[in-house]
Amino acid sequence: MGSQFVDFNADGHLDYLSATFDGSPHISYGSKEGFSPPERLKDADGQRILISSFWNYEDKEHQKTGRSMADGKPRGERCISALAFDWDDDGDYDLLLGSYEKGHIYLQMNEGTKTDAKFTGKNIPVMAGEKPFGLPSKMTTPKLVDWDSDGDLDLIAGTFSDAYQSEGQGGGVYLSVNEGEVGAPKFGPVEELIAPVSLGGTEPQRPDLGLYPDPADHDGDGDLDLIVGGYSSWTPSPRELSGLEELRVEELTNELEVLEEEQTALYDAFSADLEEATAGLDSESEEYEERSDEVRDKHLGGLREMSDKMRAAQEELDELVPKPKRKSFVWLYERL
Amino acid sequence: MKNLKRCGLTLVMLGYVASPSSMSSPHEDVKAPKFAAPKRLMAGEKLLGTGRAYASPVLHDLNGDGHKDVVIGDLFGRITVAYGDASGKYGAEEKVMDRNGDQLEFSNW
Repeated sequence: MGSQFVDFNADGHLDYLSATFDGSPHISYGSKEGFSPPERLKDADGQRILISSFWNYEDKEHQKTGRSMADGKPRGERCISALAFDWDDDGDYDLLLGSYEKGHIYLQMNEGTKTDAKFTGKNIPVMAGEKPFGLPSKMTTPKLVDWDSDGDLDLIAGTFSDAYQSEGQGGGVYLSVNEGEVGAPKFGPVEELIAPVSLGGTEPQRPDLGLYPDPADHDGDGDLDLIVGGYSSWTPSPRELSGLEELRVEELTNELEVLEEEQTALYDAFSADLEEATAGLDSESEEYEERSDEVRDKHLGGLREMSDKMRAAQEELDELVPKPKRKSFVWLYERL
Repeated sequence: MKNLKRCGLTLVMLGYVASPSSMSSPHEDVKAPKFAAPKRLMAGEKLLGTGRAYASPVLHDLNGDGHKDVVIGDLFGRITVAYGDASGKYGAEEKVMDRNGDQLEFSNW
């Protein structure tokens, strides 16, 4: 999710605008008493705002719609970030919607007022130079900031890369300078600010994956630094093992294989018992729930015990033979 | 860098013309800025953002005390804050609550 503090409804209080992986922007309105519980932003017709892909809470599945796209065709693009931006400088906020896939940004105009927004429900691709704004891998979030101090807002955005990989290229941070003017933005070609680098290393050195940037003057020296959230990926250096430790590694590896087989057998027994106990019952009925609970109680102890044994063995093995690590941090890139 | 730019402006006003090798172009600074090696920020005794799923930070003075705080959202839509103090340090991450006293949490699938 991206995050923006903005007085969206012009009531004198900052609101918190965001979008999540459900595919739509949400807003928590600020007031004297604090933030309201977040609610979904809707267009002038009362429909939820989106790009194309979204999570349908009623049908409990991912779906696509083309209703907001110019050609009416659905596509695999999901809004996971949103920014309020007075694109046409008419005094009210329009919306920029950021797509996870391809890193596209869409503009949705507000044809209402600053206190009574009426979004069109129609997405207009934001261009970067001659091409639609896009990034080399999936986009985390764009941010608006006057990066070049010329009085208009530029775009800075981060990329994910693959958040579970431990090799290959990581994510980066990109800039598109607004070469237009206030009320008529014209974003230039996308350029690297923080170049993606090859993953690796024996300790966390940088945010490698899922880079969420926030351009801000962190140290108060008058220039813009970058605060970047993200996962670091590294593999601690292995140490030299003694003969006994090498034997212990072999023992633990074998033990984990056996425990994995035993764990599979426990889950199979659990499934078989559950199937037998609930055969022919409506899965929404109370009887189904009661019998499921009984079966779960019967097996839970054994499953937990097995899980504890496996964790202990794995932790001991990891001490001896380090595995690739992946952890989330927040980093400061101080501008020099 | 702004200080340097201001110095440059003063020198131009005084009639000094810098040679290309003695002054970096503003364009170069904007599109190819130099950053120090990244450092992890702390929140109290812990590293900020540890254990969060896709930490999405924003620097903002949430409590209006004149010091910048780091507000963090995550994949689950949960919002936390590490309050900054006059020394530029951040306190331990804590939940941001809504006006009803519940953690501010944005809906996700």
